[in-house]
Amino acid sequence: MWILPISMLVITTLLAIPLSRYMTRIMDGKYKVPRFLGWFEQRLNSGPQNWKQYTASLLIFNTVLFVFGFVVLALQPRMPLNPQHKGLLAPTTIFHTVVSFMTNTDVQHYSGDVHFSNFTQIFFAFTMFFLSASIGFCALTMIIRALRSDSSVGNFFVDMWRVVVYMFLPICFVTAILFLQQGSPMTFKSFRQVSTLEPAAMGTLENGQPNPQTIVVGPVAAFVPIKQLGTNGGGFYGMNSAHPFENPTAFTNFLSCVAMMLFPFGLVLMFGRMLNRLKHAWLIFGVMMFFMVGTVVWAIYFDTLKPNPGLTAHPIARTYEVFNADAAGGKQAVILPAVAGLPVDQHLGNLEGKEMRFGTSAGATFAALTVDVTDGAVNAEHDSLNPIAGLSPYAGMWLNCFFGGKGVGMINMLLFVVIGIFVAGQMVGRTPEYLGKKIGSREMKLAMIALLVHPIMILLPTGLFAGTSWGMKAESNPGAHGFSQILYQFSSSSANNGSAFDGLGVAYGFNDNPNPAPMARQWDIASGLVILISRFLPIIAPMAMAAFLGAKKSSPFGLGTLRDDTSTFAFLLVGTIVIIGALLFLPVAALGPLAEHWGPLPFGG
Amino acid sequence: MAHNISKSVLLLVFTVVIACGIYPGAVWLVGHLFFRFQAEGSLLKGPDGQVVGSKLIAQPFTKDEYFQPRPSAASYNASASASSTLAPSNYLLRNRVATMLGPIVKYRGGLRAGQLVAPDIETWFQQDRYQGNPSIVAQWADLHNGLAAAWIGADTSHGSYVDSWAKAHQAIVADWVKANPSTPQPKASDLAVVFFETFSKENPGRFPSAVTKTGADGKPQTSIEPVKDGSDIQPTFFDMWRQDHPDSDLQDVPGDMVTTSGSGLDPHITIENAEFQLDRVAAKWAADTKSDPAKTRNEIEQILQVNASAPFGGLAGEKMVNVLEVNLELRKRYGALN
Repeated sequence: MWILPISMLVITTLLAIPLSRYMTRIMDGKYKVPRFLGWFEQRLNSGPQNWKQYTASLLIFNTVLFVFGFVVLALQPRMPLNPQHKGLLAPTTIFHTVVSFMTNTDVQHYSGDVHFSNFTQIFFAFTMFFLSASIGFCALTMIIRALRSDSSVGNFFVDMWRVVVYMFLPICFVTAILFLQQGSPMTFKSFRQVSTLEPAAMGTLENGQPNPQTIVVGPVAAFVPIKQLGTNGGGFYGMNSAHPFENPTAFTNFLSCVAMMLFPFGLVLMFGRMLNRLKHAWLIFGVMMFFMVGTVVWAIYFDTLKPNPGLTAHPIARTYEVFNADAAGGKQAVILPAVAGLPVDQHLGNLEGKEMRFGTSAGATFAALTVDVTDGAVNAEHDSLNPIAGLSPYAGMWLNCFFGGKGVGMINMLLFVVIGIFVAGQMVGRTPEYLGKKIGSREMKLAMIALLVHPIMILLPTGLFAGTSWGMKAESNPGAHGFSQILYQFSSSSANNGSAFDGLGVAYGFNDNPNPAPMARQWDIASGLVILISRFLPIIAPMAMAAFLGAKKSSPFGLGTLRDDTSTFAFLLVGTIVIIGALLFLPVAALGPLAEHWGPLPFGG
Repeated sequence: MAHNISKSVLLLVFTVVIACGIYPGAVWLVGHLFFRFQAEGSLLKGPDGQVVGSKLIAQPFTKDEYFQPRPSAASYNASASASSTLAPSNYLLRNRVATMLGPIVKYRGGLRAGQLVAPDIETWFQQDRYQGNPSIVAQWADLHNGLAAAWIGADTSHGSYVDSWAKAHQAIVADWVKANPSTPQPKASDLAVVFFETFSKENPGRFPSAVTKTGADGKPQTSIEPVKDGSDIQPTFFDMWRQDHPDSDLQDVPGDMVTTSGSGLDPHITIENAEFQLDRVAAKWAADTKSDPAKTRNEIEQILQVNASAPFGGLAGEKMVNVLEVNLELRKRYGALN
């Protein structure tokens, strides 16, 4: 039960230590490469940049990436490797998918096995996976260089090349071989039709012949490693890492978890090494780990150690007071009779939406980890998690800094650090300082912009969609859970996470689909805009903040300086995160998962 | 600006070559040379040498001779994986599980230990009282509007049955339209609840179900008729029966047997699930091969034990078996089905 998550966290930490050393060497340019690789680097190098030039390069490159992605998706019907003649996706879905993949979000309003040809999987997804993951990485590197007042913050294109070629590529290759050995397919064929052992059980075709089983295959073994190592999380198949080809054994599940945590862990330590503040980085690492362990324990406790409450007995009749203008006193009592349980053995916890082969607590563990590091792959159906266990993925997305996405998570944590220090400075009446630099009003404004974009981009559209038919016609579950589905979609979009409550009707499908989900267009556009805003503002504002901080003169370390490597500081940081998180998100948590947990269950009929 | 764009394009081109060409090409080569079986999708061959499916992908089995996989929200369609996406609070989840349980649940304790509850459900249904009130079917439709409407959509014959009912009960339909002025031309599914209410009054202790009879021309004909027992009553009304008998001591059914997996293609079942099916499977094979039931049961139990394995040698999970592999083993041992 607990061995699985504990060993995952310990092994990843142990791997992250040497990795962070390697990462520091690469990003500081202290490495030697064969001459031909150096030639590529030379071609890309446009010279030392300042923070504005670096940011401009980042934005322009994203624009180019957007155009590229859009073209690849739009050309799907005309391209090779498409024997099933998969057609053109709806234009809004193309927009949403491109935005979602280029920002490392990978919320999917389509199913890979249904809607993508192998050409699209390779040229769209592989490219986006490698590059979008590197962008966050580079943003953090730039911030670190700015904070240590380097004369130049480096060159964006060289940094991207370093991350893609010297970090992701070798690790991906090794991981891919392991996935291959365990059973992930690796072929450029698209599907295989088989007549099953009991052919009639698949149903019959119109001509009376038994229906063959069509098994979609493809370059899955190469797909999954970069999906996980880049914390992308978009699935080759609709059901992502729950699919037996994307995650064939308990070992690959373990590997998937280690792979998605590896770089987020390593980046925190790289932050410390590059700044020469390793103790401070370990402290941040500890705070992040504290929250991560919390979300994992929460998920396992409420999902693996508790049965699915929809099937169990509720022996005591419950009374709810609901608003009713016609009743006396404006309130009406609704009585729910006691419910007898169904005879189902649930000692393995809630098994709805879980796979058997990963191990008992693997579904809950994966659910917590995938949101903590904003990977977004899933190995179980999050819609079917026990309601209160669902709080764990929400918390990971809302606070978005329990290691968080590649680079971006550390950047988010930096914002909490700055705000924590500012609050502490206010309390003792001293000018707050971070790394010896005075935090002024301009820096605080930038930090606040970056921090507040996220809750605004979750709460505003959730309110809009929950109050209108845009959301109500998309919900697939009744009551509080319907609201949870809307909330989850925007939380996942804004956190650049990518996991989903899959029941929500957001898929338009192919452009000629006669029966798309009724509100699919609205969802494509709204979710796409949320993703864009919540990706770029929280990267750019901290980049500016770091540049302004770095440009200041360092003040000498004195008796009154708030030390950033003590347990006091750790408590301050934890407190800041908990208070800000609770103030922003407790009300919606009460309307969604908490209401479902304490409300009538089962609900409706 | 132009400088940035040209470098961006260059970076993109380099990455496309590496990420979409060299990297997958190299992995493909390794797979092709060393892991051909896995790279092609872990395909297994059947008794006649034909490929029967992938070891990793669940496929449906319905015959009693075979172990059956977990239910699939994707209908075992390996080109469109799907989960049920049913929240625990959604009644449809409870209903789906109850529907599966009705025909297979047995008493655990008491005088009738080991016997199916299904006959008792039918007896209780025919008495037509739920929670002390008459008309089970009417109460069922009132409690679960969605299920009543879903029944009408489940088969075209259901819809036409309600249509002909509506023609014969025009006064009731007119009353319904008066109460629901926004739907002046109600479809069959709109009338679900009022249909079942009237049906229950006119046919106490009965439920509309498909009945196949030999017609005048000697061919079987299927029509919808009120029935008092059979394969619709046991699943549909198990949950209500349970509410009327909360203290009955029932045997638990393994959880993975009645829950759908995340992908809809989970190829494994727990060993408890397999043991639960063992009696059925063994009895059927013993009858098919005319051999000693106890011996057959022992042999099949052996097959299960040999094929069972747990994640990380049991460190992280329960013992389970691969359904297709076990069924292939049965075919190898006992030959083709009758």
